[in-house]
Amino acid sequence: MKERVASALAESPLNELAVYLLGNVPGLPPIAQSIHILGIAAVMGSIVMVDLRFLGLAVPSQNITEMIRRLLPWTWWALPINLLTGLLFVVARPNRYFYNPVFSWKFSCLVPAVALAFIVFWVNRKRPGFWEASISTRLLGRLIAIISLLLWTGVVLAGRWIAYSDYLYFLYE
Amino acid sequence: MNETTSMPFTAFWSWLETRPLAEHIGFTYWFPLLESIHVLAVGIVVGSIVMSDLRLLGFTALRYPPSRMNRELVRWTWFAFIVAVITGFGLFMTRAATYIENPAFQLKLLFLLLAGLNMAWFQYRTFPNLLIWERADITPVPAKIAGAVSLVLWIGIVFAGRWVGHII
Repeated sequence: MKERVASALAESPLNELAVYLLGNVPGLPPIAQSIHILGIAAVMGSIVMVDLRFLGLAVPSQNITEMIRRLLPWTWWALPINLLTGLLFVVARPNRYFYNPVFSWKFSCLVPAVALAFIVFWVNRKRPGFWEASISTRLLGRLIAIISLLLWTGVVLAGRWIAYSDYLYFLYE
Repeated sequence: MNETTSMPFTAFWSWLETRPLAEHIGFTYWFPLLESIHVLAVGIVVGSIVMSDLRLLGFTALRYPPSRMNRELVRWTWFAFIVAVITGFGLFMTRAATYIENPAFQLKLLFLLLAGLNMAWFQYRTFPNLLIWERADITPVPAKIAGAVSLVLWIGIVFAGRWVGHII
């Protein structure tokens, strides 16, 4: 499966386009990467701040229901932007990413992290006040927040380590 | 190349990058480790600052007074900023003499300095003069200017920071 996606991408015209753009548009690689980092900052300022609020570690005077409604749209904007800026590099060099175990780790963290964020957002939308309603929903929120924080940390750390997977020589033994 | 440089303290930067710690970071997994933590910390710094800036600009979170919002957010900003400075210094010292001459690195330092000045000016000059400050739903012009300047500078810091690695 992975092999087929990688080789299909490598032979697609999109690959040619991405290689051309990255090589010929002046400054495109650092520009796309900087936007990607700004997307990470938006995630940190939105879902991560909501997680820290759940745990009582940040912005104690802000209302949880209002925070989720106000901030999660930033997460939903940041993710597609980061998908696009990230895809530019993946499509240009699919083999570099698809055969990289760290890239798999990143997505093993990203998919559940997004799912948890969506659950927090969706429940808050259907039942405003749910996350503050009772001790049990607050505890559930805290549990989700701890897992979410660990996953987002994993996404960012693994993301940067994709370029350094050679250091993890034990993965290839 | 360091003999022909115009940078001050040339000997110091060269001395710095030959410290055992600098060489250890530069030649082991410590470099990507510090770099990945740096990105995480920068994310929190910029994420929390953007939230404060958008409030100052009067775009979001108008139900909270900007004074309280800043007070609560700035703890995370400072915590993450300290982590970013420590990890950033670890990365810098591995090739200090080269980084100090890197125009993107110089620009990043300049933007950081300006962002700090903007923050200090706002904190000690603008802020005490605004008696209406504790009220929500109010966004005076000096606050908007401080927020806009901060927003532009921090976006510039991210761009310049990422550009550092493309110049060396």
